[in-house]
Amino acid sequence: MTDYLWKNLFKRTPPEKALHAILRENILFEDLTSKQLRFVSNIVHLRKYSSNETIFRQGEIGVGMYIIVSGSVTISAQQANRGADKEAGKTIITRLGSGDFFGELALVEENGRRSATAEAAETTELIGFFKPDLLEILERNPLAGVKITLRLGEVLGRRLRETTERVSVLEEQLKRNRAE
Amino acid sequence: MYNRERIIKSAAVGGIIVLCALIILKVDNILLSFILAFVISYLLAPVVNAAERTGISRKVAVAGLFLFLTALFATGIYLLLPVVTAQVSALRSELPHFIDGVSKLLITAETRINAILSGVYQLDVSATANRVLSGLSGQMFEDLPRYTSSSLAVLILAPFFAFFMVLDGQAAAKKILELVPNNLFEPALNLKHRMNAQLGGYIRARLLEAGIVCLVVWLGLAVIGFPYAVLLGTFAGLTNLIPYIGPIIGAVPAILMTLVTGASGLTVLAVVAVYTVAQLIDNFVIIPLVVARIVDLHPVVVVIVIIVGAQLAGIIGMIISIPVACILKLTAMAIYEHLVEFGN
Repeated sequence: MTDYLWKNLFKRTPPEKALHAILRENILFEDLTSKQLRFVSNIVHLRKYSSNETIFRQGEIGVGMYIIVSGSVTISAQQANRGADKEAGKTIITRLGSGDFFGELALVEENGRRSATAEAAETTELIGFFKPDLLEILERNPLAGVKITLRLGEVLGRRLRETTERVSVLEEQLKRNRAE
Repeated sequence: MYNRERIIKSAAVGGIIVLCALIILKVDNILLSFILAFVISYLLAPVVNAAERTGISRKVAVAGLFLFLTALFATGIYLLLPVVTAQVSALRSELPHFIDGVSKLLITAETRINAILSGVYQLDVSATANRVLSGLSGQMFEDLPRYTSSSLAVLILAPFFAFFMVLDGQAAAKKILELVPNNLFEPALNLKHRMNAQLGGYIRARLLEAGIVCLVVWLGLAVIGFPYAVLLGTFAGLTNLIPYIGPIIGAVPAILMTLVTGASGLTVLAVVAVYTVAQLIDNFVIIPLVVARIVDLHPVVVVIVIIVGAQLAGIIGMIISIPVACILKLTAMAIYEHLVEFGN
């Protein structure tokens, strides 16, 4: 136990350099200078999940986003009106791998609920970046905060456009199906 | 393996909290030093953040600010010490007269009340009150050296703790959060953020209130030429930290002094006006604009919380009861949101 606590309190895993590299690869942090990245990496949280461990559940209040350092994550949604049998109504939406990120909507929502469930598909390491962290960056280093926020806006805009396109395609399909 | 990790993490968090609580509660002066350090750190954090925004490193900002404040504090003591010392020694020599005057006032009031009650009930409090007041005045000055040494320890320890709280507080909180199990991590982080925001806002608002009341009473009494303006202003500012009854306690010494010394009606009115203006500014400007936005507690809850605080920890309990109640309310809400509401 002593070794475990010692390791957790004083050892950085993965090393700081690796954390920088992962953050730099992410679209939200790609505009940051090395100094700003160092600042941000002191604020974000590194979390480790075992296989099948839930990261967050659909309906929970979301506080922020996660970037996958290693391992993979399954995103699934529970369909409404499926009664008590939760497994039956579960739809796997996607499986994300190293470098991918999810849950970014929670960074801008006020007490927004998670729209899906995220679960570690294997032993997975994640970087957690949460709304309080973004607020702290904006408060202490506004230049870095604005760069992240602009990129976040870009990501959310892209997601909205993709969703709108998908809805349009589905509407077209629905019309065609009705016509047939 | 991960279940074992989760248990170890939970035990570690619990252990750290219990250990800190034991040290704070059991070691002399630590509790007060910690409360004061928290207050100082919440007060200074926005200043350090503002300095950091200009590109100065946090270490330099914190060190520079503490050096500046130490110099400011030293200058303040240098300038105010002669005034305060003169007022304390004058008060010491005048106190027996004041107590005598208060005793006479009590006896007169008691006689009048007993005359009105005309035998239905016989009031007999003046003798006891006299004994208590005489004992208290003697003890107050006898205990002064002990209080001074204890205050000195707090005055040295509190800024020392505050320095590291401002410098490494966020990093330390992050380290403790690392030990929180994954399933509780997001609610814990959110709770910490909300507590920080609410406590910081509350502490800054209450100190602003106390500072303004202190200044208005001090200046007001000085303008009308009332004695002990510095001491009475400081006392009014400090007691103003106690919600509801604090302002009344703060005004009592000055009102009693006017009654005991047989001051003119105009002086009595002027003293009452000074305290009223201070409270008007506080109640109609500062509280609606600053405090009410921060603390979302019903007035009845506030009164109950203050009574409980007074029962548990006296005056300190009354002062810290509201922020403690806010923390408990936020924690309860977070647990409700995470477990009950989401569970449904």
